[in-house]
Amino acid sequence: MRQALLIVLKDLRRRLRNPIAVISMMLIPITITLIIGLVFGRSGEVELPRIRVLLIDKDDGIFSHFLRQSMQQEQFAEMIELVEVDGNEGRAAIERGEASALLEIPENFTDDLLDHKPVQLGLKKNPAEAFLPVIVQELVETTALMLDSGVRIFGGPIEQLRSMFEGEGWPSRDDAGGLLDSSRDNMILVGGYMADSLISLRNEVAEHEIEEEGAGVGLNIFAFVLPGSLLIGLLFISQIALRDIVREKEYGTLARLFTAPLEAGHVVAGKILSAFAITGLSCILLVLVGRFAFGISLGKPLPLVFHLVATVFMCTGVITLCYGFIRSDRAADAVLPVVILTMCLLGGSMIPYEQMGATLQDVGRFSPVFWAVDGLKMVFIERANLSDISLHLGILYGLGILTVVPGTALLRKRMRSGG
Amino acid sequence: MIEVKDVRKSYGDVAALGGISFTVREGEIFGFLGPNGAGKTTAISIISGLLLADSGTVRVADMDIRKDSRRIRKIQGVVPQEIALYEELTGRENLHFWGSLYGLVGGNLRGAADRVLELVGLSERANDPVRTYSGGMKRRINLCVGLMHRPRILLLDEPTLGIDPQARLNILDIIRGEVSGGTTVIYTTHYLEEAENLCDRIAIIDHGQILAEGTLQQLTQLVGEEDIVMVTGNFTDEQVRPLLSEVKVEHLEDGAFRALVPDSGAIGKLLGRFFSAGVHVGEVSIKEPSLESVFIKLTGRELRD
Repeated sequence: MRQALLIVLKDLRRRLRNPIAVISMMLIPITITLIIGLVFGRSGEVELPRIRVLLIDKDDGIFSHFLRQSMQQEQFAEMIELVEVDGNEGRAAIERGEASALLEIPENFTDDLLDHKPVQLGLKKNPAEAFLPVIVQELVETTALMLDSGVRIFGGPIEQLRSMFEGEGWPSRDDAGGLLDSSRDNMILVGGYMADSLISLRNEVAEHEIEEEGAGVGLNIFAFVLPGSLLIGLLFISQIALRDIVREKEYGTLARLFTAPLEAGHVVAGKILSAFAITGLSCILLVLVGRFAFGISLGKPLPLVFHLVATVFMCTGVITLCYGFIRSDRAADAVLPVVILTMCLLGGSMIPYEQMGATLQDVGRFSPVFWAVDGLKMVFIERANLSDISLHLGILYGLGILTVVPGTALLRKRMRSGG
Repeated sequence: MIEVKDVRKSYGDVAALGGISFTVREGEIFGFLGPNGAGKTTAISIISGLLLADSGTVRVADMDIRKDSRRIRKIQGVVPQEIALYEELTGRENLHFWGSLYGLVGGNLRGAADRVLELVGLSERANDPVRTYSGGMKRRINLCVGLMHRPRILLLDEPTLGIDPQARLNILDIIRGEVSGGTTVIYTTHYLEEAENLCDRIAIIDHGQILAEGTLQQLTQLVGEEDIVMVTGNFTDEQVRPLLSEVKVEHLEDGAFRALVPDSGAIGKLLGRFFSAGVHVGEVSIKEPSLESVFIKLTGRELRD
């Protein structure tokens, strides 16, 4: 182990003496973040505009009112301006780009739902806007899901309720009692889920936002951009650090190392630890730049540390495995940028994952970068707890092990046979 | 101290070593003399444990290189042909790193670095990055790395390659100084004068085979007291064959021959016969008994070829 640590110290000292390559790679995430931030606003703090949504309600029933109300409750009301329009007027307005989206509730929406018939809401998005229509879509999908769940769980009682309304008007005391009795079991069943109310969750987030940022509601666009660009930088820094394996072979120092009393394992361990240390230090510096230059809230300390370590471990592991197959500087030049950029592209480093098509999103989840970027966004933006990112951490640490182990074995084997 | 028996090594279809055997005694400087590609570096790489031989045995200080490679490497110092240093680090930092790999720590490490820096006259530049050094200075630090831990065995693979004569003499002096402390040395070179001046015994190697081995005196006896004369010109072998009856012809072809002659008078007579017969002579070279003439006799060509 002492021999491996000597190699780590030597490599760190060398990197410190010649930091140009690593610094230039660190500039990638800083530059990308800066440019995108400047595009959105000088401070990176973006006040979201009120989202104008046109509504054509052809149903005018209980459930269409539920949908409408859910989009107009207090916080959504701040965010969304719901404008009721008739069919032709609404369609013409959305074509003119006068709103972010047009929501169309079909005729008999309430009745069909109560009859357990499939129904379809129409949502027409403004193609000129990138993010706002997506927010509307998410909101409508979430509301529809809640409505759907409610209808399925309380289908029986609701059906009873409807027949009461359609019959003699208000039910008798006995009928109402029976209805409550029959709903009781379902309410107990879903009680646990209902207890986690959205209101209490939002309150918690809002308080932290005020504590941390000292400002009103707003999105720091840098926090959204930095995780993706950070991963590009870290992967390139890892590959620079590990490139020493092929460079030292070409310089002759690798052969000389093997004339000293140490084993191939010492050299490989030393190189991987060096790369981990260099990537880790760069990561810390970049995150600090994010905090102090871009004003990004770093979230909770423990999830942040665990996630950054997992990310650096994954980056080092993936690149170690690549170098298990790469034998020369030229091969590294040819192969690694393609591998890194493909992983980053699919993983949401360059194009936000949410903006990708469904197929690309499915493929993107196989990129280790996705789990690193998504987890970091959760830590930065949502102030995620450890439990929230446990899947991300599991996958990143798992990938790290799954790549470091075979990568190390390949490198040791190659070095034993003369490099 | 070092015993090599029937060692063979091939790279694909190319045989780098075709079964070499030799022994090196303790405190001896053993030279490997041969042209580029002769197998010198392969031989030294196998002895240093860097390469594994396809067959044969190598024993160093009564240890088998296959079984005790790490223990052997502890007592060896290796100076490779290429300058294997970290250019970003200073000369002293390089020495500290390599010395620490051999277990030197603290005062011993610093003392060893100071000693070798003093030895090669680089104490004043020790704290400058290696990338700022001249070629000769890099060669000297390259040598220092091999000397840091006072090895019992020193393997030097063309340590003077590509440097000026003065720096070369300096390096040879340093090696002589180390050997006076009892170090055993294997020294590869393609410079005849280095082998003649430095080595106690010399093995002449070519195409992966040791052609001859012994002290300089033993090797020169292979060509006896006779000089080697080499003549090139515009002639055919039939034309000159009758004129060569009084000398020992070693090689004859159209336009060139090589022969052994007892003295310079015989050379004059030989050339006189050529001129009388109207044979065109382009170039004449005469080699007195030396390592070079031995090399030519054994390989049929000059070392610089």
